[in-house]
Amino acid sequence: MRTVHLSMAARNLRRQPHRTIALGGAVAFSALVMTLVSGFVNGMDRAIQDNVTLYSAGHVIVSGYTASWSGRFQNRFAGNDILEELQRAWSGAKAVLPLSQARAAVVYGSREIQLSVRGIRWDRDQLYKNALILLQGTWDEALKPRSMVMSSQVASRFGLSTGDEVLVRLSTASGQQNVTEYRVAAVYDDSAAGGMSTAFVAFEDLAADLNLQAQEQQAAAVFLDSADQAETAADRAAAALKGLGYQVLRQSGAESSGMAGTVLSRGASDNSASAAGVEPVMRRAVPGTVQFRIATVQELAGEIGAALGSVRWIGYAVFALMLVVSAAGIANSYRMVLLERMREIGMLRCIGFRKRDVFALFLAEGVLLAGTAAFAGALAGIPVGLAAGLIPFNPHGDFGAALVQGHLRFLPTAGQILLIVLFETMAAAGAVFFPARKAAAVLPVEALRKTA
Amino acid sequence: MNKNQRHLTGRFALFLFGLLIVMSAKAQGGPPAGGSQPAAGGGAMAGIGLPLGFLENDKNYQFPDDISKYTAKDFLMLVRKTDIRSSFYDTDMSATITTVTVSPERGTFVRKEQIFRRDKDDAFLMITLEPESRKGQGMLRVDNNMWRYDPTSRKFTHTTLKDTYENSTVRNNDFRRWQRSIDYSVESLTTGTLGKYTVIIGELKANNDEVPFPYIKMYIEKDRKIVLKVEEFSLSKKLLRTAYYTEYVQIGNSYVPTIQIFQDGLIPEKRSQVTYTNISTKAVPDYYFTKEYLERVSQ
Repeated sequence: MRTVHLSMAARNLRRQPHRTIALGGAVAFSALVMTLVSGFVNGMDRAIQDNVTLYSAGHVIVSGYTASWSGRFQNRFAGNDILEELQRAWSGAKAVLPLSQARAAVVYGSREIQLSVRGIRWDRDQLYKNALILLQGTWDEALKPRSMVMSSQVASRFGLSTGDEVLVRLSTASGQQNVTEYRVAAVYDDSAAGGMSTAFVAFEDLAADLNLQAQEQQAAAVFLDSADQAETAADRAAAALKGLGYQVLRQSGAESSGMAGTVLSRGASDNSASAAGVEPVMRRAVPGTVQFRIATVQELAGEIGAALGSVRWIGYAVFALMLVVSAAGIANSYRMVLLERMREIGMLRCIGFRKRDVFALFLAEGVLLAGTAAFAGALAGIPVGLAAGLIPFNPHGDFGAALVQGHLRFLPTAGQILLIVLFETMAAAGAVFFPARKAAAVLPVEALRKTA
Repeated sequence: MNKNQRHLTGRFALFLFGLLIVMSAKAQGGPPAGGSQPAAGGGAMAGIGLPLGFLENDKNYQFPDDISKYTAKDFLMLVRKTDIRSSFYDTDMSATITTVTVSPERGTFVRKEQIFRRDKDDAFLMITLEPESRKGQGMLRVDNNMWRYDPTSRKFTHTTLKDTYENSTVRNNDFRRWQRSIDYSVESLTTGTLGKYTVIIGELKANNDEVPFPYIKMYIEKDRKIVLKVEEFSLSKKLLRTAYYTEYVQIGNSYVPTIQIFQDGLIPEKRSQVTYTNISTKAVPDYYFTKEYLERVSQ
């Protein structure tokens, strides 16, 4: 294909503006839709990862379980050496922080609600102070002892505001009942956090409520530069714990609460079968046995994001359908073009155009039309996507975890836009191929005779 | 082979055949129908999870006549007496229980269940009869293993004794045999009255950190030696729940609290009343305490 072909193709497109606009519009529309779909799916993927990081408190969560005197596993483990080992395991880790979490009933007056309460080392927090938007109160207040940061949804349901005192009823790590008091120091915008309703308190306070001993924690949260590193970091953490002598067991979705994933254990354990002749469920172990379970933000996001797969496939199906429709339109149009330009083709052949020039001219016209239209459509999709991102959605709905501050995030990539343009262009080339071959095969004399 | 030898061989073959039939029958037959036999092992082994000699030691313990002279040991023996008398170690027990839960947020909710208990094995089965929407739901416990069954999803979910029962103030543990004398030790003793009854009030502390309530306060009636009230406290010593045992029925050697009221300590308006009716000590087949049976009967 030479410049002359392209310039003639461009002239032909300008010569029949209505047809060009109709065909180009169809192609541009399909490119626009695909840009929107891919951009929103990317945005939802990222939003889910960000929100899951908020939910799970870090990119990699290493939960520890220690067998008590009775052989029952309790969600606790001791030793800063584990945290240091995890920090050493992945040099890219920004921080490894102790974590505690409990499912608790928060009581205010005669009302109560079940909530996750999470203990955060506020002095080394890498996440929440940046991610949570406070609607009431300040971080200075929130960092004081026995203070709670509560979601706006829970606060409004209870009629709570900053300064109010609530009771928190929870089970300690060993299963004893405990009740303590907290003061609501701040209220965060839960719609800005994927509809999360977790309440946050100081790690030291919750550790005391859970009756954890000094140096004990329930989990370690590993913060990375990017969620993409989570799987590798988790593998390294597993290897490091193995190096410390812990037995490694892969086991997901196990019986305990909260933080799930890879299980590692050190020490002997046995299963006590029930007397009813059913499978053993309660796992007993030698007192002091420690198990670790590692979860990554991607594993957790994968569960929530599984629904996104179908959205993505629907997008692909729509795109494929649109490609077929545009290709059929282009093919039909160029069959018409062939008939309309029969005399012109004859003349061109008479003045020295070869068969392949005619073929290239047709192909150039189709490619130029589709390529330009697809590019324009994809570009037009960007402002449309950004504008659609302004529409507010219910953050507590089914797709709440895929929203950012109650809005869809639009994140198209240059690579995806290029792919969309390429596919559209290839489809157009395929559609024009047969009319072009037919045009090239026309005999000049015949063409002139027929149109004379 | 002479006639005698043939005769002996024939008899031996007949004996072997008989033995084979008996063994086959044992192997293919179900579990023994009775569940009412005394606990296996009798004396030394008292039952699953119970300390050695729990049921036998100090059976004829002499309690002081003057309640002001009760020592910590006396009170613990009294608690043990209430533990044993409220349970059924020699028989099985079945009953219909009605639970009425009042909550300021959820209003009033009534459930009716059929329960089966075998205290010597620490086994328990519950099948929901009412309301219609929950009919067929069940709960099975054997020792510390506990499952809920939902006939709609046909799935078992693991639960624990520490969990509350259906958003009420009742805990799964309340359906279990009492064993406070094992889990707690006496901290202090006083005397007082509860209504018209003279009671000994004991403050107890859990012996280990896996007992749900670290501190309890028991009010035991002096004459009948039955528990009238138990206050349960959190680790921070806040009152979490008060249990009232307002009516008892004597069945054999057991005293069953037929009306039990559980009042929330943090939200006093929230309370549940559990009423036992149709109490029976008839033997329950072994297979009742299996998941298969719960699954089958729930349909």
